[in-house]
Parts: sequence; C-alpha cells; structure tokens
Amino acid sequence: MSRLEATRIVVEGAGDAPIVASLGHPAYDLFAAGDRPQNFYTWGSMGVASSIGVGLALAKPETRVFVVDGDGSLLMNLGSLATIGLLQPANLVLVVMDNEAYATTGGQATPTAHGADLAAAARALRVDAVVAATDDELRRSLARAERARVILAKVTESAPSAKPPLDCVFIKHRFMTAIGNPEPATRTGS
Amino acid sequence: MASRPAWAVGVCAGLYAAGSRDVVYVPDNPLSHVLAELGEQYGDVRLVLATREEEAFGIAAGLYLGGRRPTVMLQSSGLGNSLNAITSLVLPYQIPMLVVVSMRGDAGEWNAAQVPMGRAVRSIFDAIGMPHTTVDSAAAANDVVHVTGTTAFGTRTAAACLLPRRVTTS
Repeated sequence: MSRLEATRIVVEGAGDAPIVASLGHPAYDLFAAGDRPQNFYTWGSMGVASSIGVGLALAKPETRVFVVDGDGSLLMNLGSLATIGLLQPANLVLVVMDNEAYATTGGQATPTAHGADLAAAARALRVDAVVAATDDELRRSLARAERARVILAKVTESAPSAKPPLDCVFIKHRFMTAIGNPEPATRTGS
Repeated sequence: MASRPAWAVGVCAGLYAAGSRDVVYVPDNPLSHVLAELGEQYGDVRLVLATREEEAFGIAAGLYLGGRRPTVMLQSSGLGNSLNAITSLVLPYQIPMLVVVSMRGDAGEWNAAQVPMGRAVRSIFDAIGMPHTTVDSAAAANDVVHVTGTTAFGTRTAAACLLPRRVTTS
C-alpha cells in the first residue's frame, strides 16, 4: 500500500471529521487524496502534528480527530505518546505513515528501517496500537474505539504530485469554520 | 487551605479573566504555586501536562483550533525547546495563546547553567516578533496577565508574560 492509497483510506474513514497532517509528504498526500476544509495542513513544526491532534481532541471530545503523521516526525516527539497514554482521548486516532524513511528530505532511513518498533513504543506508553500492512487492515483499524489509538500504517513511498495551500492563515480560517469554531469576523463584546 | 503567594493568585485570576480555561504546562518550581491555586480554586480550568515545551505549544494550538483560549506555562529554560513550534506554527498561523514564563537566570539566580537563556529570553521574543510583558511586582500580576491574554486573543497574536525571580521568590 502506498502512502497516497493509505491516505485516501483515512480520508474515506474520517467522513466529516478533522484531519491534521504533518508537514511535507503526509500533508501533500492528504491534499492529493482529498482536499477538504476539515484538513489542517502544517507547513512546519515537524513532530508537533500529534500534539495539535491531542489539543483538538481535548477541545472537542464529541468529535473524532485524525492525525496523519510520519514515522520520522513521530520520532521527533515521542513524548507525545506518553501524553496520549496519560490523557487517553478516546476520540483521537493517530495514523503514522511508516515508510521507514525521511522521505520529504531525500529518503534517509529512519530507525524504523532498522527495526525500531513504534507500535511497541506506543504500547509501552499505554497507548493502544495496531499495525496495518494492507488496505483492509487499515480500514478495519479506523473503526471507532474506546481508547486513543495509534495506527502504524506500513506504506511505500509515493512521490506526491500536489501541494496544499501555502497560506497558513487561510488554512486555519477554513479549518476552524469547517469544524464549527469560526473565528469572529468582527469585534464581539465591548 | 495553604496560602498562596500573591503573585501566583494574581496570575490565576488574570488568565481566568482573559477567558482561559485550559493551561498546558511543563512543571516549574514557582509555577507549582499557580498550578496548586488553579487546582484548588478554579475547578473549571483544565490542567494539561506536556512532556516538553514544544509539545505544549502544539497542544495549545490544537485547543485553540477547537475553540478554546489556551495558556502555556513554562520555565524560561524551556523557551529553547519551544522555538520551532512557536515560529513555524503559532506565529505564521496566527494562533493566539497566553504564554506565562517563569524566569530563570535573572536577578537572584544561583545556577550558572540557567543564565545564558535567561538573559536571552527578551531578545529572542523580540527577534521572532512575539510580544512580551514583564510582571514587575506581585500586585501587578493579575492585571498584566489579564490584559496580555485579552490582547492576545483579541488580536490573534500569541503573547508572553514574564515572571522575574524577584517576583516569584517574594
């Protein structure tokens, strides 16, 4: 399964729910798989996508929140797994597109290429984790769960063909409006 | 009920008055008074522990996107850990938050390892274009934190309040 195919499955499974994408190839593929206002594309802050997802999940407990992360970016913020394990936001689904490489920067191998096991790391930090190696497994893993969940999608690299909007504030406005928290357009109150 | 230092009581009242009900923090000794006060006196304020300051800014950004008015609390030494999230997420996306920084490395410091970052905090905030205000006395804490928070959320610009050691150790 290519990352783009896997991303399409996540978009399909998310329905109208928000999806936060890590910068670079995960965000590019999310745009290519299906641009929608409920997509929050990051253009920086490698590693922080899962943390944005945690905050969003806490703010909106009634909404499922999906994060499309990479193996390299999750490795940059492994403490996030401990926080997810502590808080257990049941509405959070963290999909890690594990291509065993820093694909956005030229394909350097990540530690997962040498056996580092992010699913085991998640479990050790009290987060439910499943490995999805096929499209069927990925579809099944997206089902609603009782606890926060990490899905380690084993994917092959697929060169992204498109890039999301560059305007960060546009992305934010569109996203917040789509998920029911529009920023006021005029001054409110006194 | 333990009595809290006046500056800590003021910080809590100020962030609450600015509409913040979510405080994402990395622990710090003086800030423990703020956390204890929030826990005891502000039952509707959610305290969220982060493992690292950059993560705290990410969580706060997500809270804002979800319609909340987040506060981030950290020690100044953790500012270095936060800079990528501040400069490539919080600032370019114009995600407002109130940032409360407990200072190390300023007057009264005993640990040399805290001094270089402590000295650099204001210059770093200036260099990245993030507004900051210093709480000059315990009596000013409530008002400074309140106004800084209100301005941050009103103008969609993250802004910091610095708490010097001579205030937090008073």
